[in-house]
Amino acid sequence: MAALRKRRVTVLVILGLVLAAAVVVAVALGAVYVPIGTSARIILSRIPLLGLLFDGDWSATQETIIISVRLPRVLLALLVGMGLALAGAIFQALFRNPMADPGIIGTSQGAALGATIAFFFGINMGWGGLSAVPLFAFVGALLAVFLVYFIAKAGGRVSIAYLLLVGFALSSFLASIVSMLMVISEDRMHNIFFWLMGGLGTGNWDMVLAVLPFIAAGSVVSVFLARDLNLLMLGEERATQLGLEARRFTWVMFVVASLVVGAAVSVSGIIGFVGLMTPHIVRLLTGPDHRYLIPGSLIGGGLFLVLADTIARTVIAPEELPVGIVTAFFGAPFFIYLLKRRRNAIA
Amino acid sequence: MEWKALEAKGVYAAYYRENVVAGMDIAVAAGDFIGIVGPNGSGKTSFLKSLSRALRPRQGVVLLEGEDLYDLPAKQVARKLAVVPQENPISFGFTALEVVLMGRNPHLGRLQGAGPADLEVARLAMEKANVWHLADRPANELSGGERQRVIIAQALAQDAGLLLLDEPTQHLDINHQLSLLEMLLEMCSRGLAVVMVMHDLNLASQYCDRLIVMRRGMEFAHGAPAEVLTSTVLQEVFGVGSIVTRHAVTDRPHIIFLPAPGGDGALAGPRVHLVCGGASGASFMRDLLERGCYLTAGVLNLGDGDEEVGRALEIRMTTEAPFSHVSEDAHLANLELMREADAVIVSDLHVGPGNLVNLEAALQALEWGKAVYLFSPHPIEERDHTGGKARELYGRLLAAGAEESPDREEILSWLAGEGGGPR
Repeated sequence: MAALRKRRVTVLVILGLVLAAAVVVAVALGAVYVPIGTSARIILSRIPLLGLLFDGDWSATQETIIISVRLPRVLLALLVGMGLALAGAIFQALFRNPMADPGIIGTSQGAALGATIAFFFGINMGWGGLSAVPLFAFVGALLAVFLVYFIAKAGGRVSIAYLLLVGFALSSFLASIVSMLMVISEDRMHNIFFWLMGGLGTGNWDMVLAVLPFIAAGSVVSVFLARDLNLLMLGEERATQLGLEARRFTWVMFVVASLVVGAAVSVSGIIGFVGLMTPHIVRLLTGPDHRYLIPGSLIGGGLFLVLADTIARTVIAPEELPVGIVTAFFGAPFFIYLLKRRRNAIA
Repeated sequence: MEWKALEAKGVYAAYYRENVVAGMDIAVAAGDFIGIVGPNGSGKTSFLKSLSRALRPRQGVVLLEGEDLYDLPAKQVARKLAVVPQENPISFGFTALEVVLMGRNPHLGRLQGAGPADLEVARLAMEKANVWHLADRPANELSGGERQRVIIAQALAQDAGLLLLDEPTQHLDINHQLSLLEMLLEMCSRGLAVVMVMHDLNLASQYCDRLIVMRRGMEFAHGAPAEVLTSTVLQEVFGVGSIVTRHAVTDRPHIIFLPAPGGDGALAGPRVHLVCGGASGASFMRDLLERGCYLTAGVLNLGDGDEEVGRALEIRMTTEAPFSHVSEDAHLANLELMREADAVIVSDLHVGPGNLVNLEAALQALEWGKAVYLFSPHPIEERDHTGGKARELYGRLLAAGAEESPDREEILSWLAGEGGGPR
C-alpha cells in the first residue's frame, strides 16, 4: 500500500515538472525564437516577490511577445486541457463508461450551436472582455446540458443510461442545426468550420481570466470529493450502501463537470480526444483511484494540450493547424500503443 | 422500550405499477440468523432491497433501531447495516484491498484517508472471507467466486451489527459456501444479526434459526426450519415433490427432492406388489410408477428407507412397527395386496428372521398364479441372515416358476410382457 502510494505521488510530481518545462518551451517557440532561459526568466520575473530576483536583461519586444502574446495562449491551452481532462474523468466515473467524454451530454454541440449563431448573425457584442462567440458558446453549452437534464428528469426515474441516450439524441439534433446554418451561410462557413475544428489562436488574457475560476473551482471540488468518485465506480446502489448519498452526489458532479466543459469549450471550440483519452492514459500510470487520477488528469490534460497547441502553431508556421487535428493525430496512436501494452489495465 | 435492530411492518414495494413485495413483516434482533427463501420472482431480493434502503416502500415502514431507515443519512445507515448484493460489477482495476477499504467509508470524515486502524479492520475482514491472499490483485481480474468474497469482505469491513446478504453463496464452490456460512454463524454467536436470501433450502435449513418462505410478494410461512420446511409447504410453494428427513448429524430438516413423475400412460401398466426393505426398493418404485403400474409394497417396517419413500410417493403399503418381526396381521394384509396384484417383484433385500415371512408370501402368490420376479444383483447367499432359510425359500420360489435376474431392465421388460392393459 505505502509503496503504491509513493509510486503514484512520484508519477504526479514528475508529470508536474514536465508540465512546467513544457510551458516554458512552448512560450519560447514561435515565429520569433526567444531563448528558453530568457523565456523562463521573463515569466518568473512577473511572479510577485520571486520576480524581484530577476533583472530585465531582455528586450522590450521579447517581453511583449512572451507576456502579451504567447503566455496567455499557452495558459489558455493549459486551462482548457485541464478542464477537458477533468470533465472526462468525472463523466467516466459518473457514467461508469470508458467511452464517456466531455461532449457526451450535449455540451459540445450546445457550444457549437451558440458559436454558430454568433457567427451566423454576425453578433458583435461583448462582456467582460469576451467577444460574442465565446459568450454564446458558453450559454449554448449550459443550455444544452440543462435541456438534457430536464428531459431526462421528466422521464421519471433518471438513470445514467437514459441520460446518455437523451444526451446523444440532443447532440445529434443540435449538430444538424449547426450543419444547416453552415450550409445557408456560405460566406461565414469558413469561420464556423474553423471554430468547430477547435483552436486557441484567439487566446488572450481576458479569456484566461474568464475561464480560470471555473477550472479552478471544478478542480478543487473534484479533488475534495475524489474518494466519493471511487465509491461511485461500484454503482449508484452499492455506493449508497457504503454511505454515499449517491444520487445527490451524481448531480453535484454533473453540474460541476458541465460548467467546466462549458467554460473550456467556449474559448477553444471543440477539441476532441483530450477529455476522452487523458484520463485513460493517466489511469495507466496512477491506477483508478481518483485521489490520484483527478490531479493526474488535470496535469496530463494541460500538458497534452500545451504540447499539441505548440505543434499546431509551429509546424507549418506562419500558417496554423487546428489543434484538434494535432491532438487526434498524436494522441490516438500513442493511446493504442499503451492499450496494447497494458491491455488489462483499461476498463 | 427495546428497539429491534431492524424491523419492517406491512411493507409494500414496487418498481413500476405492480407490487413485488406485498405486505411483508420482519423483526431482526442481535444474533438472529434469518433466511428468506422462495421461488424465483417471489420478491425476496426486492424485500431485501427495501430493508437495505435501496427500494423505498410505497407503503409500510422499515425501522433501523427504531428510526425510519429512509429518513436517516446514508452514512449513518452504512455504519449499522451492511449489504452484500447479488450482482457485483467492479470495473476499472482497483485492487481487492482498495475495494475492501471502501467499506471503511462510513467511518471516515470527508478529508480523512483510511489509516492503519482501517487497514487492520480490512485485513481481518479479508481473512474471514478468505481473500487476504488476493489483496494486491486487481479486482476485475478475479473469478466470480473470488469477487463475491471480496464484496463480502467489503461488507464485513463496515463493521456493522446487521448484515443483509442476497444469495451470497451463488458463485461459491461448496467448500467456500460452507466456510462462509460457518463464519456467519460464528459471528452471529457474537451478536451479528444476519438476514440472508438463499436458494439452497438444505443449507438454509442447516444454518438459519428462522426461515421466511415467500410467495408472490407475501409471507407464506415463517418459523424454525423444522416448522417451515415440510413437504406440503415445498409442494405448495415450489411445486416440487420431496421427502423431508432429518440431517443425520445436525437433526435439522433435510430435503430430498423427487423427480417429477414422468410418462403419460397413467396407471396403464400391470398391478405390481413390491417386496423390499432397507433401501433396495426405492428406485424400483419410481421406475414402476413411471411405467404406469399400480404399485403396492410390504411388509415394511415404519421408518425404513423404502417405507419413507413409499409414503412420500403415496404407495399403498402394509407396515410393521420399527425393528419388529412381521406380525400375523401384517402378513395377512400383505397377502391381500398380493392377491390383487398381477405380479410380485422381490428386490435384493436383506432377509432376516423378522422379514423371512415376506418370502413365504411371495411363494403363496406364485401358487395363486401370479408372476414372481427375483431381482438379484447380489446373490441371496450374501443377503441371507437366517442361517440358510432364505436361500432355501429362494430355491423353492425358482423351482415353482419364479424368474430371477441381476438386471433391472430385464425384469421391467418381463413385466411389460405381463400386460395388464389400461384399467
